[in-house]
Order: sequence, then structure tokens, then C-alpha cells
Amino acid sequence: MKSLLNTLTVVVMLAVVSIANATPEQDKESFQRFYTERFPDITMEDFGNGVYALDQDARNQWEAMNDFPPYEDDLEKGGELFNTAFANGKNYASCFENGGGNIRQNYPMFDTKRNTVITLELAINECRVANGEKLLPYKKGELAKIAAYMTSTSEGSPINIVIPNNGKALAAYQAGKQYYYSKRGQLNFSCSNCHIQNVGRKARSETLSPALGHTSHFPVYRMKWESFGTLQRRFDSCNKQVRAEPLEGQSEDYRNLEYFLTYMSNGLPVNGPASRK
Amino acid sequence: MINIKHVVLIFCLLTLTASVFAAKATKSDAEESIQSAQQLWDKSIAVGHEWNTVKPLVAQAKQAMETNDFAAAVALANRAAEQAELSLVQAEHEKTNWVNNLPK
Repeated sequence: MKSLLNTLTVVVMLAVVSIANATPEQDKESFQRFYTERFPDITMEDFGNGVYALDQDARNQWEAMNDFPPYEDDLEKGGELFNTAFANGKNYASCFENGGGNIRQNYPMFDTKRNTVITLELAINECRVANGEKLLPYKKGELAKIAAYMTSTSEGSPINIVIPNNGKALAAYQAGKQYYYSKRGQLNFSCSNCHIQNVGRKARSETLSPALGHTSHFPVYRMKWESFGTLQRRFDSCNKQVRAEPLEGQSEDYRNLEYFLTYMSNGLPVNGPASRK
Repeated sequence: MINIKHVVLIFCLLTLTASVFAAKATKSDAEESIQSAQQLWDKSIAVGHEWNTVKPLVAQAKQAMETNDFAAAVALANRAAEQAELSLVQAEHEKTNWVNNLPK
């Protein structure tokens, strides 16, 4: 009996170690399978609508609101900002592949020369600095509007995050994965505790949204913010809710988290910008 | 045989003793407590598990010290230190236990 228990313990430990060290592709498959098995009536594409894929009442209100999307003015402003020339005569389009159009689905990407994760918002600001302009605040304001405009040009394109088979890229991915699953804050919650283990259940009056598709529609216009906010602004809100101190915008931890989480939604179409409560 | 009167008496004596000691907190006690809390807080930032409840407690402790309320400063700094310490325990625990939150 004792040897049987020992064997079982070893098998369980090996299983845990193998899950922790699964390849990104294996992670993505088990992540997406979790949601498709849990919510068999929801199409893969609809997971990009977050809580509105799960809660019909909320969806009806949201769809009614979207007859006149609250973000239209800010999105238009984002387009104007994107197309406005810098003082040196160049513009954002000069910094990006395809003139900056239809590229959101490729971000965040791993820069193998610099060995770091580059988010779209970071790339926008780096473009500004390269052209002699000042940095913009990372989580809201003009940068979020520009990113929202760029996202709109990718609507319908499948998310296509690439994790190069090199140690640094895998380490960044793994760090993001560990951040996502680690409990933090005084309330001792991980991101996954809400969006995986308790997805679809209520936290006070709010239905907890699925993590699959979380990144497909950012920047998001939240009624609570009355403006666009980037994904990392949303990370801040989650951290505050569990009483953890949010991180600086574009900190390495946040960029790695964004890298991991967006990779989990690979294949889903970009459907942003979007509005949320 | 201990009866309820004895228990109440002992509780009152302990509370009184504690309040006397608290009232006697000095500026250096407050400084020491705040420094200790600050060190633990810094450690929690370094390991990436800072709680957002610690910063306001340290700020309040410093404010209490400025108004010469050293007992309050010590109490607030101790609460900050306790929470920072718990965040370090959490960080240590999550080094290995994060895998328990993977989708199953």
C-alpha cells in the first residue's frame, strides 16, 4: 500500500511539473480546450466578446449601446493623431510594417535582437522618440486612442502571436504565464482564479469573463473610465481589485503577461476597439 | 477555579498594560517601526508581490509621527510590517504553487 501511495505521489508530481513546463502550443491548446468544453454553446469567435458571450441580458444592453458606440469620437481622434506628421515630417506609418495598418494581430511580438517583448503601445512610443517626439503616457489618453485606431484596421484578422524557439523568448513567455497564475494582493487571488476557475460565476454583481479572447479587443472604451484604456490599464484595475499594487506601464512583467495572455487567444479574430461597462 | 470575574480582570489588566506601553512609545520607537516596515515593504516590491495596502499604512504612520502621535505611528507601522511580511510569505508560496491554478 505504501509503495502504491509513493508511486501515485511521484506520478502526480511529474504531471504537475510537465504541465508547468508545457510548450506554449500545448498551453494554448489546453487553455482553449478548457473554455470550449466549459461553454460548448459558445463559438470560438464569440469568446472575444468577453462577458457578453456568457450573459444574455448584459449582451442585449451592450448591443443596444453599440448602435451608437461611445468610442466613436475618440477613435476618430486616434485616426487623426495617427495620420498627423511629426515635427520632422515623418509619421507613425513610417515606423511600422504595412504603414501601421492591419498589424495589431501580431503584437506583442518578441524582438530577438533586443531580447524583449514589444507591445504595440511600446512600439508607438518608440516611434515617437525615434522621430524626436515626447513619450506619451502608456495606459490612456492619446496613446490609447492611436492604438485603438490601429486596432480598428485589424478587425477580423486572426491574432497571430509568435514565440520564437529561443531561450529568451520562452523565458519571457514563461514569466508571463507564471504571473498570470500566481496569487497576489491581500485578497490572495490570481488572474486565473477569477477568469478560469470561477469564469461565468458572479463576483458581487459582475459576471466573471473568460480569459480566452480577453486581449482581442483592446484598447477598450470603458464607461467607468469614460475613455479608452490599454490592456495594461485593465491589468491595473484587476491588481487593485485584489489589493495588489499595479505595475508601471510597459514594465517587463506587464509586457510578458500581455505576451502570454495574447498568445492564449491566438486564432481569435481581432474585434476591437470595443466598449465595456 | 477561575471564574469569569477573574478572566475579565486579567483582560482589563492586560489592556491597561498594553495601553500604558503604547502611550509611552517614543519618537525613536516610531522611527524604528517605520524603518522596519519600510524594509519589508521594499522586499515585497523586489519580489514582485507588493500589496497596495502597505503604502498607505506607511504614509499614515509617517503622518502620525509628524504630529507627535508616536503610539499611533508604531501601531500603523506594525500593521504595515505585518502585511508586507505576509506578502513575502505569499511570494515564497507562489514560487511553486502557481501551477495549482492552471486550467484542469
